[in-house]
Amino acid sequence: MTRVRKGELALRYVLLLAVLALTVGPFLWQLSTSLKGPTEDIYSSPPSFLPRHPTLHNYERVADTIPVWDYALNSLKVATANVVTNCVGSALAGYALARLRYRGRRAATLAFVLAMLVPVEGIIIAQFTTMRELGLNNTLIGVVLPGCIGAMNVLLMRNAFLNLPYEIEEAAYVDGANVWQRFLRIALPSVKGTVAVVAIFAFMGAWDDFLWPLIVLSDPSKFTLTIGLNYLHGTFAGDERLVAAGTVIAVAPLIALFAGLQRYFFRGVGEGAVKG
Amino acid sequence: MASSTVSRVRRQLPTSPWLFAAPGLLIIGAFILYPFVSTLVNAFTDRRTLIPGEFVGLANFRELLHDDMFWIGLRNSSLYVLGVVPALVILPLLLALLVQKNIPGITFFRSAFYTPVVASIVVVGLIWVWLLDERGLINSLLEAVGVGRIGFLSDQWLLLLSAMAVTVWKGLGYYMIIYLAALANVPRELHEAAAVDGAGAIRRFVTVTVPAVRSTMALVGALSSVAAFKVFSEVYLMAGPSGGPAGEDTTLVMLVQRTGTGLTGRVGYASAISVVVFVVTVALMLLVLRADRRAET
Amino acid sequence: MPISRRTFAAAAVCALLPLSGCGSGDDGGSSDASGRIEGDITFQTWNLRANFKDYFEGLIAGFEKKYPGTEVKWIDQPAEGYADKISADAAGGTLPDVVNVSPDLVAPLAKAGLALDLDKAAGQYKKEYLEGAWASHQIPGMTGTYAFPWYLNTGPLFYNKSLFEEAGIDPDQPPKTYDDLFADALDLAEKSDGKVATLANVPTVEDFGRYGVPLMNSEGTAFAFNDAKGVELLTKYKELYDAKALDPQVLTATPESSGKKFLTGAVAMNPGSALDLGNFKKQAPNLYKNIGITDQITSTGHVNMYVMGVMVNAQTKKKAASVAFAHYVTDAEHQMSFAKKVAIFPSTAGSLDDPYFTKEDGTDETRVRVAAAKSLKNAVNYTPVLFSEQMKTALRNEVAKALQGKESPQEALDNAVKACDTLLEQQG
Repeated sequence: MTRVRKGELALRYVLLLAVLALTVGPFLWQLSTSLKGPTEDIYSSPPSFLPRHPTLHNYERVADTIPVWDYALNSLKVATANVVTNCVGSALAGYALARLRYRGRRAATLAFVLAMLVPVEGIIIAQFTTMRELGLNNTLIGVVLPGCIGAMNVLLMRNAFLNLPYEIEEAAYVDGANVWQRFLRIALPSVKGTVAVVAIFAFMGAWDDFLWPLIVLSDPSKFTLTIGLNYLHGTFAGDERLVAAGTVIAVAPLIALFAGLQRYFFRGVGEGAVKG
Repeated sequence: MASSTVSRVRRQLPTSPWLFAAPGLLIIGAFILYPFVSTLVNAFTDRRTLIPGEFVGLANFRELLHDDMFWIGLRNSSLYVLGVVPALVILPLLLALLVQKNIPGITFFRSAFYTPVVASIVVVGLIWVWLLDERGLINSLLEAVGVGRIGFLSDQWLLLLSAMAVTVWKGLGYYMIIYLAALANVPRELHEAAAVDGAGAIRRFVTVTVPAVRSTMALVGALSSVAAFKVFSEVYLMAGPSGGPAGEDTTLVMLVQRTGTGLTGRVGYASAISVVVFVVTVALMLLVLRADRRAET
Repeated sequence: MPISRRTFAAAAVCALLPLSGCGSGDDGGSSDASGRIEGDITFQTWNLRANFKDYFEGLIAGFEKKYPGTEVKWIDQPAEGYADKISADAAGGTLPDVVNVSPDLVAPLAKAGLALDLDKAAGQYKKEYLEGAWASHQIPGMTGTYAFPWYLNTGPLFYNKSLFEEAGIDPDQPPKTYDDLFADALDLAEKSDGKVATLANVPTVEDFGRYGVPLMNSEGTAFAFNDAKGVELLTKYKELYDAKALDPQVLTATPESSGKKFLTGAVAMNPGSALDLGNFKKQAPNLYKNIGITDQITSTGHVNMYVMGVMVNAQTKKKAASVAFAHYVTDAEHQMSFAKKVAIFPSTAGSLDDPYFTKEDGTDETRVRVAAAKSLKNAVNYTPVLFSEQMKTALRNEVAKALQGKESPQEALDNAVKACDTLLEQQG
């Protein structure tokens, strides 16, 4: 029996390592390219997996070419704002859709479902026109606003609240707690995990977006990191090592954030928060 | 639970529900639904980026019927759904089962499997184009084991398949999480009972796991088919802006982008294609959810 | 539900409003640029900040000093999505006062009344520029010139000597004519057993132009590249494709990817510019050692050139200052100093006679520069001003069908011309 279980365990690790190579390998290859020095031929075949003389020179050059820290700060502002608005806004709306009985609840739910289905590529100019009419083009607020309460996130929160048993709130209701108190003290703490999921989705979405910030921002001092990094493969620049270094700069904060939050994230997942 | 107590909990002051939902409805209304309504209106005009349009009735939709590119786009977007959705319904479930058991180091693996989801699609595109290149890493390895080089990025069908593979690669972690959540709710006793009955791993998977997560599979199916039908970035980045050899890899949303953007964009015509995309995604969603409901009864 | 129906109607009306909002922008005598040169203006460039920040900051400081009371705000946009950015700004009425454009971007802006006619507003500066450069921002079917010419670029054909050598072709006898080029390419493919391709790009509209194919009718109202000469060029390329003398990924290539192919030694030849030499040195030192340089091949006696322009927003409130600044950026003195920073060429009359562009000093860089400057004096921007992004895609896709053998070259070009004519009509 133990032999079988040991065998099964070994098999599990072999499979885990295989999937690991598949999912993380491509990123490591990019990291390796970004660490190769200017004298090393990055196009050589067969490829060399490890840089012969690892150097941080390419990162310095990225920082010299574009104000990468300013851009990262802008991205951080946008992403943080997006996290806050999405967590608050979708929790409120999700609670309303799941718990509160009022006329038009179905219509409101439908509005969020439809919004999730709209192909964004087709409406971007119309979004820009709206933003300009509000006088918010070329501001970071304008970047955040359209995605600040994502339809998908609202529906995720709705599902999480739907899965909470009514009995808990019932007790509080009998004790005289009003709707805000029940929401804040009872419902919300029970779906912390889903809030973590929404937070990560919101951060990722804002950090990775390219086309919308490009359209809405004009002033380079307000650019976010993804737009800034685009300068790296422009007409007068264009070095594979720099592009690789740029992509590492773009991805690393997200991986760090996720590594930091993953405990809450997976706990939230364990709560059955994302269940359909 | 008694329905009378439920309704008592739900009975509220008349204004607060709308206060709760208002911010979300406002944002969605102003920045998604309102622009989409203007897209609907534009679909019946010949508006161009810089030239105001006139009402042209159904002319755009009639033109669609005779536009080869539209049919190519519809074909590719549909193929994308057929190719990607089964993989994204099944593989992440298997992956979730693999990482479900708490063995040493498992949190590391779970997080690592999630990294492709975290990276932006532009970065992912850059990485994979470089990996799948005629002289890229994957082809070097294939040649080393004697398979020979494969033109992943030059053949129309291989390109579409490669893009699908990237979509699956990037989506694995995302749907794995959704399945993990569902699996956490499957009572352990069910598995143990089945194991005692002498059911093997595969039998247990089919008779215990699948029925327990069936509604989640439907959710994953619905989400992934909507996303697959609207595919843009993966194909755009790998097949290029003109959509692969002779444009044969163009998807519908790529066509929206190509015809509708830029200074000479035909906003009216592109809006008509957007409307078609919207109608099909709504239909897909309903189809999947109905199939699930039917299976339930 | 009466309320929701009313809201819907209101939304539909509002959605239609922007249609009337972006009118033609022709407010009568708008091209008058006289008046005091003062005020705040915005200047937008296309991906120049990363490498030329100091140059532009100096340029702007110089202008502000020359015209006290002016202030120029410089914004730079990344390479990708530039047309989308300009479209959104143009449609939304937020176009900057002075904008870096290329001829194909100017055409739709001029038609929408958003680009200032410089023949009227700044005709006195016309003689300062090369004739061909000034004309490059004129639009068939319209009178007027809609941007100042800025920098020009052209370049030689680079080839990989070691690949030539391996195939037994004399690396010091590079092709000079199209016939040579096709013969060498077939030779190279045959001798390397299809392993070494010569080119990594399909013919674009400028290639047809350089081959001597008439691109449009003389009125500029319809395309004409489906004539016998055009079919001949495409048939040649089809032969190359079948013989594997074109890179296998050629049908999905972009200029960026074909450059990369050349860098990695996957193809033997690639058109480029003086800019690329530095790139080779940095990125592929092995290739740089074996680089061969030869003249751009042309059947018309005129090489192809790329033109950048600087246009003035017709709706600017600071017309005098904007015109003055656009001229300041593109005048001989400032173009010359920009050209010395980076391997591009000034479009001002006489600048190319400067010793910087005529005297060789034995290095490859100078040799390329001198040759390019010489050829630029009668170079042509073959790409028609009205050739939109959508037309490029249409041509590309038809060319691909011909190469794959799904259509004959004649059919493919007929279809491409038909598609482009329809698009031209729809542009209005």
